[in-house]
Amino acid sequence: MGYGRFLLKRGVQGVGVVWGVVTVVFILRFITPGSPIDTVAPLDASQETRQRIAAELGLDQPLYVQYLDYIVELLQGNMGYSYISSIPASVQVFQKLPATLELAVAASIVAVVLSIPLGVISATRRHQPADYAATSFSLLGISTPNFWLGIMLVLVFAVELNVFPTSGRAYGFGEALAAITGPQPFVPVVTAWLASLVLPAITLGTYFTALITRLVRSGMLDELSEGYVRATRAKGLPETLVRYKHVLRNTLVPVVTVLGLQLGTLIGGAVITEAVFAWPGLGSEIIRAINARDWPILQGSLIVIGCGFVLLNIAVDALYAYLDPRVVAE
Amino acid sequence: MADQNTSRRRFLQAAGSAAAATALAGCAGGNGDGESTPTDEPTETGGDGSTPTAEPTERPEPTTREGYLQRANRLIHDEAPWVFLHRQFSVYGQSADIEWEPRTDERVAAYGIEPASDAGEDVVMTQSQMDSGLDPHDHRETPTDNIVLQAYEGVLERDAQGAIVATLATDYQRLDETTVQFTVRDDVSFHSGDSLSPADVAYSINRIVQSDVGIESPQVDQLLGVEGAEVASEDDRTVNVSLTGLNPIVFASFATYCDVMNQSWVESNDNAYINQNMDGTGPFQLSNYEQGVEVAYERFEDYWDEPAAISTFTINNASEASTRVNRLLAGESDIAVNVPPQEVSRVENNDGTSIAAVPSTRVIFNAMRYDVEPFDSPQFRQAVNYAVDLESIIENVLQTFGSPTGQPTLEGFFGYNPDVDPYPRDLERAEQLVEESGYAGAEIELVTPIGRYLKDVEIAQAVAAQVDELPNVSATARQVEFSTLVSQVTTGNIEDKPPWYLLGWGNATFDAIQTIQPLLASDGSLTSYSNDELDRLLDEAQQLPSESN
Repeated sequence: MGYGRFLLKRGVQGVGVVWGVVTVVFILRFITPGSPIDTVAPLDASQETRQRIAAELGLDQPLYVQYLDYIVELLQGNMGYSYISSIPASVQVFQKLPATLELAVAASIVAVVLSIPLGVISATRRHQPADYAATSFSLLGISTPNFWLGIMLVLVFAVELNVFPTSGRAYGFGEALAAITGPQPFVPVVTAWLASLVLPAITLGTYFTALITRLVRSGMLDELSEGYVRATRAKGLPETLVRYKHVLRNTLVPVVTVLGLQLGTLIGGAVITEAVFAWPGLGSEIIRAINARDWPILQGSLIVIGCGFVLLNIAVDALYAYLDPRVVAE
Repeated sequence: MADQNTSRRRFLQAAGSAAAATALAGCAGGNGDGESTPTDEPTETGGDGSTPTAEPTERPEPTTREGYLQRANRLIHDEAPWVFLHRQFSVYGQSADIEWEPRTDERVAAYGIEPASDAGEDVVMTQSQMDSGLDPHDHRETPTDNIVLQAYEGVLERDAQGAIVATLATDYQRLDETTVQFTVRDDVSFHSGDSLSPADVAYSINRIVQSDVGIESPQVDQLLGVEGAEVASEDDRTVNVSLTGLNPIVFASFATYCDVMNQSWVESNDNAYINQNMDGTGPFQLSNYEQGVEVAYERFEDYWDEPAAISTFTINNASEASTRVNRLLAGESDIAVNVPPQEVSRVENNDGTSIAAVPSTRVIFNAMRYDVEPFDSPQFRQAVNYAVDLESIIENVLQTFGSPTGQPTLEGFFGYNPDVDPYPRDLERAEQLVEESGYAGAEIELVTPIGRYLKDVEIAQAVAAQVDELPNVSATARQVEFSTLVSQVTTGNIEDKPPWYLLGWGNATFDAIQTIQPLLASDGSLTSYSNDELDRLLDEAQQLPSESN
């Protein structure tokens, strides 16, 4: 099997996964209590009004008709219209996506920048105070609830010290980028953009920092006991070169894989952090859509997230196949 | 505010008819809810100490609409189809940069805000949710009301106390039983620059009540009995509204619903556009709209009345209460909507912020279905009321941000009966009433939504625990998601409802009928109760013009 065919196969599988997501969300309508009409219509609406609203939203059709309609529309690039606001679902979803992506990327950066040095220190100074400090930190990071950490950070750094804004997203990455040439002054915009990003990124990134610290530590300990390490040392290579050029490099392969996949988890798992920081992202949008039974928005969001996962997976696979041709052969 | 002066009709009439309505302890001897046995009667009298022990003598029929509604409230109190709980308060955190009085109807109008310092020119408000779209006819919930009402106005509005004031109408009157007339102000322009015409007003009314004009408006049930409107005369700027029959609360309804839109603007744009843009006549015009994130307004300089005192107003949201409070404390926001009791001290102990609280239009209650055991017994229902310690719930769960009630109609509303007091806590009497009802040993379960109303779960747990203290009743509370409860209570079928459930009901028309009719009348859309005498009193009331307007 050639490399191109391999990718094609993965692509077709990806489309299947996305179709699966769409279908599962549709089936969820059956088993989810509460109908969209209950949230669209006032509590005391007459049955007649309810029926008219149902007809207007197309909910009076049999489910398979609604399903086929939706798939046909989707293939034409139309995700439908929000039951609540009548705004196209694609507009509502893609407006919210950048904020969540930005937060996920920032949190990943926080995780990488902190976790790799911590893991290295921890592994190379095994059973020394620095190791204990790093392991305790990662234990604490894994067991601290996200929302609590977020609220504490806000209380200390925003309300008491007034260093960062408490919540919200003053500017986006796009606006910060545009300020280079645009009419708005560059420095204040970028400062405001970063300032509003710091606390949520730390909150969301802490768990992953802890997770990856442990991964780096154990991976590095494994590698350090490998034969080639003894060989390089015997060759007389300086210890720093042994650790950072050879050992760390080998440790990072699984770390990169985990990071790639965690980015997807971050997009879906940012919900609580987004709530604490009133971050206008896809997570808050999904929660709102669930509460309102706003199915077009929910489906649109999940399709976008599903596509994101599929693309990340294909990218990771492609990278593997490129690095290790045996994968394609299998 | 200027519009307070224009109030010409006091919303709340001095209770002239109240004396007549010192109604009638005996009316509950009920002839017709079908379930009571004749032996009920003696226990209906000499009730809670607030009513003099009276024989169920016949009193003269009320002569006014208010009298009928007050008698209905008395009947409901005695028959106890609910555990009467409390009137919810609206609790706001407020910065010292602004001067502002919260309104009773839960709506925040930026027109009423004045700067108290230089920082008060640009005001930011944080509420828990954003709008469900900007079309003023296409929604019916408080967060959207707050966003829409800055830019749109109705023919009638309410002042901070709930009194009806004329805004886009200069005059309003009943022509005959089925027609009311509005005279439309003639110096008004929309934000787009177009002038307001009587045709715009007629079109706006029709857009709500006639489903073939544009949209299915969820406000149609609020203008029930309104058939349509037409321009009576372009010269003297009058619009005639036709009704299916005498509608006593037609002006009260118009004062709460029916924002006026620009007909040509609506007709030349699609729904998605109308939901993301605004063209109203209000004191603020939209300057930026970011769906789900932020709505920003600037002062409309060509406003027909005095221009607003503040120059910009911004509404954003934070679903987390602690986040809203943090914004207020950090000076990022001037008004934080819905501050929960546990956050109140943080706001009060902070320099430059304070708490503003006002009784809202929302009543919180536990409905008991009249058609299932053991709630089919009025004695049993009264017993549950006697078992609940309302004062303790308000003191401890709500930190005093609530006031107890003994009837579905709130104080200050048309039809409120001032002679009906909340049930006092009396465990002995409750126990005895349970014995009399024949349902000793009953096991009951209170279903409560999670997080829909302030402290709803905690209140339900307290109620269940207090009722459980009775030696002959055991009670528990069960939590469900609000939408689950809604899907059960809105089917129009009483059998689908849980036998005992917690619900809240807001009534922005300030008239008893808008609570009693949907929730307690036999044909009410959400009813869990049926009583012929109550239905008769409501029918009588609806055939009389309201003295309030």
